[in-house]
Amino acid sequence: MSRDVAPPTVLVAEDHNHDKFILQEVFSRAGIRADLRFVSDGEQMLDYLYGRGPFGVPGAAPVPTLVLLDLNMPRLDGRKVIRILRADESLRHLPVIALSTSESPKHITEAYAIGINAYLVKPANIPDYVAKVSSLWQFWMSTASLPTVEVRP
Amino acid sequence: MHDGSGRGEPTVPPAVDLSSCDHEPIHVPGAIQPHGLLFALAEGDLHTVSVSANLPDLVGIGLDAVVDRPIEATFDEVSQGRLRAVLRQTEGTAGNPIVVQFRAGGDHGLDGIVHRYGGLVLLELEPRGEESEGAHAFFRRTSGAIRRLQAARTLTDACAAAAREVRNITGFDRVKIYRFASDFSGEVIAESRDEGIESFMGLHFPPSDIPAQARALYTHNPIRMIPDIDYRPAPMVPDRHPATGLPIDLSFAVLRSVSPIHLEYMRNMGIRGTMSVSILRGDRLWGLIACHNRLPRHVGHDARQACEMVAQVLAWQIGVMEEEAVARHSLKGKAIQRRLLGDIEQLRDHRAGLIGNSEALLDLMGASGLCLYGRDAVTTIGRSPPVAAIERLVDWAIRADGAELFQTDRLQTLFPEAADYADVASGVLAVPLSRSPPRRVMLWFRPEVAQTVRWGGNPEKPVELGPNGGRLQPRKSFAAWTEESRGRAVPWQPHEIVAAVELRDLVIDVILRKAEELESVNTQLARSNEELESFAYVASHDLKEPLRHIEAFAGLLGETIRETGDARLGAMVGGIESSSRRLRNLINDLAEFSRLGRHAQPLAPAPLDDLVQEVMADLRQRIEESRATVRCDALPTVMCDRNQMRQVLQNLLSNALKYRHAARACDIRIYAPRPVDREHRDSGGDPLVRICVADNGIGFDPKYAEQVFEPFQRLHGPDEYEGSGIGLAICRKIIQRHGGTVGVETAPDQGATFWFTVPLPTGSDRTGPAGAE
Repeated sequence: MSRDVAPPTVLVAEDHNHDKFILQEVFSRAGIRADLRFVSDGEQMLDYLYGRGPFGVPGAAPVPTLVLLDLNMPRLDGRKVIRILRADESLRHLPVIALSTSESPKHITEAYAIGINAYLVKPANIPDYVAKVSSLWQFWMSTASLPTVEVRP
Repeated sequence: MHDGSGRGEPTVPPAVDLSSCDHEPIHVPGAIQPHGLLFALAEGDLHTVSVSANLPDLVGIGLDAVVDRPIEATFDEVSQGRLRAVLRQTEGTAGNPIVVQFRAGGDHGLDGIVHRYGGLVLLELEPRGEESEGAHAFFRRTSGAIRRLQAARTLTDACAAAAREVRNITGFDRVKIYRFASDFSGEVIAESRDEGIESFMGLHFPPSDIPAQARALYTHNPIRMIPDIDYRPAPMVPDRHPATGLPIDLSFAVLRSVSPIHLEYMRNMGIRGTMSVSILRGDRLWGLIACHNRLPRHVGHDARQACEMVAQVLAWQIGVMEEEAVARHSLKGKAIQRRLLGDIEQLRDHRAGLIGNSEALLDLMGASGLCLYGRDAVTTIGRSPPVAAIERLVDWAIRADGAELFQTDRLQTLFPEAADYADVASGVLAVPLSRSPPRRVMLWFRPEVAQTVRWGGNPEKPVELGPNGGRLQPRKSFAAWTEESRGRAVPWQPHEIVAAVELRDLVIDVILRKAEELESVNTQLARSNEELESFAYVASHDLKEPLRHIEAFAGLLGETIRETGDARLGAMVGGIESSSRRLRNLINDLAEFSRLGRHAQPLAPAPLDDLVQEVMADLRQRIEESRATVRCDALPTVMCDRNQMRQVLQNLLSNALKYRHAARACDIRIYAPRPVDREHRDSGGDPLVRICVADNGIGFDPKYAEQVFEPFQRLHGPDEYEGSGIGLAICRKIIQRHGGTVGVETAPDQGATFWFTVPLPTGSDRTGPAGAE
């Protein structure tokens, strides 16, 4: 992976502006070069993935390498979005990492059961957050082998 | 209405089967007393079927001139008309008496009384008494008697007045009012007598003196007379109805010859002439007006009618007085009930209400003691037997499934051990409050009344076997025979039993209402508790989000500032960071505390040893860091919610580690004080076991022993020891949910022993499937 290759696209579905800001800061402090694309709810996320509406413009919605998804979002919530992705032949390979504030074992088990690839509890403490995101990135970008992404026509 | 013809039927009483009454057929002696005549006439043409044999003696007419001859041959036309007129009457005695004149002679008529019985018309004739008077005189005499009788205000006065009036009317030597008790023994309660004759006042007579068949006769035939007990009976000729072959039934004949036993009884009493009038309350024979004369005495029909009227007025008076007494008692009962109810509402306790009104209640019931008996509590008021004795009495008297009340006025004859407390409870009225367990009974007690009964003769020997034919002979001696009756109380009257039942209903209502109130308060409490918990949970959840952002921003800010190296700004941000961290801990603990009830599992048996091992494994690192020794005795299996019990143990163990003493090695011991320390809940529920977690740490002032279990109560500043102060509150809440209690024994610098109690499995818990396992 050389430096001049375009950074991997990470699609982040997050409804809260504070959380978007904090996540960006955490990525930056972790020294991660990534193309963070934010959407605010499930519907927007599907629009992005299907290239609908504002995302229909070429280049507006690069295919993500990873999806970070807040499970509790207004309108179409994260769990429904996952079910839709997993039912779609062209999207079901996408690695999805759930972001949540809940540490409830019940919530975590449910999330894996509907097909997420990892569950991440958002730490309140910045150093913890930075450490967690670093190791997450390390795993997905270096340790794991990712599916081949076909570029949409 | 008595026969299909629609014709009137004078003096026909309802049919009674007197033959079933007893051994001696006193109603068909086949003879009459000879001071009168009796004609048995056929229905319809009224020809004479049978006549008393004294016809020739009394009026000089031969039997042949009458028997089987038409009525026209016997009586004159006017008399025939009167007879037929009486027979046309519908009312019983209306038209009686009639004056009857024989066709064959005699210049003055006879008094005739007609009634129908046994398919015959019975005409009784008596010589017209010289006292026979006009209707006006009769009315004046009886109305005077009735007026004087009605002036009486008490039962005793009324009876005395009746005795006087009857004696005035009849001139008997002795007139007594004789009242039947429930066992049909009798007592002379009033008397009017000539000075020369012995008094029977206050004497009791055994039931056998007036046997059942006589009482039945007295109920249907209210007046009897024997002018001379030494009479020679006049037989009926023929003595049987030729058409049916049956004896002529004289049940309702005034002239009927009486039983020789009765005559001998009278003779032994020194009496020659008698009359008795029934005192009837409805169909019940309440008593008799009994008249005695030392010499023969005949009372004419008019006077007898007057006496009968006196008896009726007396019966009516008795009825009014009894009803008045019952009504007064009922009013009094209602007033007491109202006051009792008011007191119970105010005191909020039915027992306290009953105790406060004990005097009035005991007075109302004529009782000397009251006991409210329940398996859990026994309240006695006034004089009652010992509680243990009451317990046995209830077990014996009240059947497990019965709601029937029990009453007696002679307990020891039924329940011999009651002789020990006859002085307080010879009479018992036990009213169950509930059909099903737990049994509750209201018991009223009456003391023994050592009654002295003066019998008219020894009641144990009322009759003697006669010398011939094994016939019963009445006793010879009427000398008063005194007997003291023991173990007897004043009997419970029907209106008193009604009052007891009303009081029972009142207490039941109060108990039920209290239970309902309690239930509704409980429901409300549970609901508001639930709402509060759910509010706390939602609030803590919603507080978390902004707090997380504050923490994150403070963190970002802190890192940025620390890069600049500005120590002052760094300290400020550090303050924000540590405060938000504390706030987070508080919110988490609050959430956990409020969530306790929501994630509760049913109680199931779990070995405490296993739970302690699990907790120690979780805390291994902290135990090692603290260089603590944790010793654990063998612990029992208890009924618990496994997760919650683990949390209790974890919190207590964490505390013991946290508050260790700097100067000595941390030593923690977990044990059950005795192998199985059975403590019982107040409600009498399952046995509990006590578990202790003892440390040798810093301890604290025991005055905080209660406070430490309150939520967010801390004895130390947050800088000394971490924590929000919720751990022990969570322990207490969990233990309370298990039906146990928590506590601590401690002193500053002396370590602390925290303990809790938790239910042991009962037999059924142990044999069932292993609960949560």
